[in-house]
Amino acid sequence: MSTRVVGRPHPIIDAVEKVSGATIFINDLELPGALTGMALRSPHPHARILNVDTSDAERLAGVAVVLSKNNTPDAPFGINHKDEAAFCREKARYVGDEIAAVAAVDEETAREALSLIRVEYEVLPTVADPFAAQEPDAPLVHDSVAGNIANEFHIKRGGVDEAFHAADAAFADDFHTHLAHQAYIEPTGCAAQWHSDGKISVWGCLQSVFLIRTFMLGPAMGMSPDDFRVTQTKPGGAFGGKLDVKAALMAAMLSRAAEKPVRFMMSLEEDLIAMRPRMPVHISLESAWKRDGTLAGKRVRIVAENGAYSSLSPAIMSSIALRTDNLYKTPAAEIQGKLVYTNIIPSGQMRGFGNVQATYAWESHLDNVADGLGLDPADLRLKNYTEKGDVSLHGWKIASCAVADATRYVVEEMDWKAKRARGGKGRGVGLASCIHVSGNKGFSVELGPDDTDPSSGVVRVDEEGKVEIWSGESDLGQGATSVMAYIASEVMGIPVDRFKVPPTDTGYMPFGMGAFASRITLIGGNAVKLAAEDARRNLLDAAAESMEIPADELEIVEGEVRAKALPERKMAVGEVVRRAGSVIEGEGKWLAGGDVLDKEKYGNPSTTYSFSTHGAEVEVDMETGVVTVLGICCGHDPGRVINRLGAEGQVEGGVVQGMSFAMMEGLAPLEGHLRGKNFHDYLIATSMDAPPIEHDFFESMDPYGPYGAKGLAEVAINPITAAICNAIYHATGGARIRTLPVSPERVLEAIEEARM
Amino acid sequence: MSTYEIKLRVNGKDEVLAVRGDETLLRALRRIGYVEVKLSCEGGDCGACAVLLDGVAVNACLMFAAQADGSEITTVRGIGTEDDLHPVQEQLIETGGVQCGFCTPGIVVSAKALLDENAAPTREEIQRGLAGNLCRCTGYKKIFEAVSAAARQMTEGDDS
Repeated sequence: MSTRVVGRPHPIIDAVEKVSGATIFINDLELPGALTGMALRSPHPHARILNVDTSDAERLAGVAVVLSKNNTPDAPFGINHKDEAAFCREKARYVGDEIAAVAAVDEETAREALSLIRVEYEVLPTVADPFAAQEPDAPLVHDSVAGNIANEFHIKRGGVDEAFHAADAAFADDFHTHLAHQAYIEPTGCAAQWHSDGKISVWGCLQSVFLIRTFMLGPAMGMSPDDFRVTQTKPGGAFGGKLDVKAALMAAMLSRAAEKPVRFMMSLEEDLIAMRPRMPVHISLESAWKRDGTLAGKRVRIVAENGAYSSLSPAIMSSIALRTDNLYKTPAAEIQGKLVYTNIIPSGQMRGFGNVQATYAWESHLDNVADGLGLDPADLRLKNYTEKGDVSLHGWKIASCAVADATRYVVEEMDWKAKRARGGKGRGVGLASCIHVSGNKGFSVELGPDDTDPSSGVVRVDEEGKVEIWSGESDLGQGATSVMAYIASEVMGIPVDRFKVPPTDTGYMPFGMGAFASRITLIGGNAVKLAAEDARRNLLDAAAESMEIPADELEIVEGEVRAKALPERKMAVGEVVRRAGSVIEGEGKWLAGGDVLDKEKYGNPSTTYSFSTHGAEVEVDMETGVVTVLGICCGHDPGRVINRLGAEGQVEGGVVQGMSFAMMEGLAPLEGHLRGKNFHDYLIATSMDAPPIEHDFFESMDPYGPYGAKGLAEVAINPITAAICNAIYHATGGARIRTLPVSPERVLEAIEEARM
Repeated sequence: MSTYEIKLRVNGKDEVLAVRGDETLLRALRRIGYVEVKLSCEGGDCGACAVLLDGVAVNACLMFAAQADGSEITTVRGIGTEDDLHPVQEQLIETGGVQCGFCTPGIVVSAKALLDENAAPTREEIQRGLAGNLCRCTGYKKIFEAVSAAARQMTEGDDS
């Protein structure tokens, strides 16, 4: 189908305001009379709280209110387990846990007030290691949770013992991933304003304005979600980290208590020690194979580090455990997962939602298998990939799939065969693939209203011929709202520059779940497409009346309604609206396909799935262990590209973010204390680290996607870590990186191990 | 803490303000409304607060406002606004070198400083020129392309 807008390169629709510095981020938002909110955080990983004395802080001039367990209700909240509270009650469970919060006239007074709060702690032994945490005599993070097990499961499917028994070969590997932060450049912040009718307005750099009301603000404050009007400010990056934002709760509680507006802006250090970084995980893999490289079965054991509070972690662990089984035709699998509480910062979701970790482990393991079977790693994958029409072992229905095309592209573009023949001399190539959801029904149940994973949109055309799109789905900088504008522009025949998509606002916008699980292009895009089709019909009906030509003989071209047979008979869209006497609107709603997994985690969690293959070429200094990424080549199947510039940006940004995770990042907890407290401790890729990237898209034209599109954000990051590690393995003749990040020390150790 | 009355010329406008001795240039600029100068790490690591101080790119978080007394400060909005964009800004739009937009004001400032010194930078020179500006969204590739394209646009502009 030929398109006018879809598939072409467009700047994001808010690019002009962004490059000119006009965008108002949360810390730029002015609220007249606003107080400064700040939190006192636990300096101990684990301590009983004997007493919190806030009297001196309360007496300090300029302090409006001090909140702690002393004057707030015991209202536990949490998505899977109600294990969190606004303020620590009997215990502090990680360094950074909120003990108290103040609202004061300015930052200096707030800081002084915090220093006047006297907390009596009884320091308790720290639970830092997830294996030691399971020992019978280990201290308990939550006194009521035996063995510190937040969640566990064990599923067995397809005759796995028989598969291993009958196999020609079997392989086993262990991997461990590290605690890594989303490291958006904008520190998290929220502001709140209490109103005399008891309602509260909240602003913040949030991924989901609707859901934060239901999973956090409402339950923790004993209020109805409808009591909050939450408005998004454009986030300065989010990457999963701004879904679960306690700063919103702090601002709202302080504002309610002070009966004044409150700004609660976290410093970068607070953000690094007290948000929800990517979950660290230990993954043990065994796989059984036929001699020809056909996968016969696998066993996966996961021990995931939950940290102090659980939030979405059970779902992340589940994602880590099952995800890669659906990328290849896997006849049998046994999967065990344990999620363990520790006295470390609560871990959480970051771009990939566990799939970065899972893909690193499995795709590294696959190269060991290829080596063991004497097969080319690309050929091994091509032999086993899932295909369109498949139903996976776990019930995933593959509606579209171009992963094999992506891999063939990488192989050809990298000159794979020639470079593979030359490995082992300090230079090598590696590749890896992934599958990812476009939305996840599980979240709809855990976080949303029901099992529908819905999105809705309103498209409004005004008397100037300008179009505003209201969607409950948020832009995080990735260009989600631009995608909506391009889709609506394509449908309506109105130029892109007439479109505006404001940040999400529960006050007037239709419901949307928000930006996570790569769901917006598919789910939000379909809702907006339906709304645009509705608006177009309504425009044509109104024009038919004004122009006295039947609607089916009219079309909209370049913002004008024209008679198809007589193009000179035309009327500007704005005039059509004026003559109709009001705004012309369209509405659309789209419910995701798939289903909620059963107790055995069987089912089809997403409408459809996206794929990618990443390739890397590296140079390894065999003396020092220093790895240089010389170049990256990748292929992605996003169903169909809506905006080529935006899609390229997702890929390039995802790949470099993934490389940064693999090579240099880590909060490096030591007995519960984190090392990373600023961007000079917590290193992320700079311009000097950015490698050359070649890439292309392989459009599988998904049957459910708007114009065939599905998600791209997360397939853009998942495989790169394994691709780099596989290239190191190739370059060094067998040095396998089993613990991240890839530090020179680890590379040297792995080289040594490979020589033995 | 002593306060000082200082004079700045910000984006061509004279500003007189009282600052405390420990107030950074970043905090002072934001306090008087120049919120396009972004506050993030406050440790000189991220570059989001970069401004031109008498034509030289500096991190506004790393100096006290009092030290800038008498200086000419240029923020991203002094380089170009919505109706009058600088080639660096135009090319960031055209190449897709802007996503969330939070680091962008600092990127524009550093790129302008680079092009003022070097009208035709190589990729390596652009990488070095932007080494103090962290971007978490784009992977930098399109930012490099934007700076290259801006350099070409500005050179061609000189010829005409």
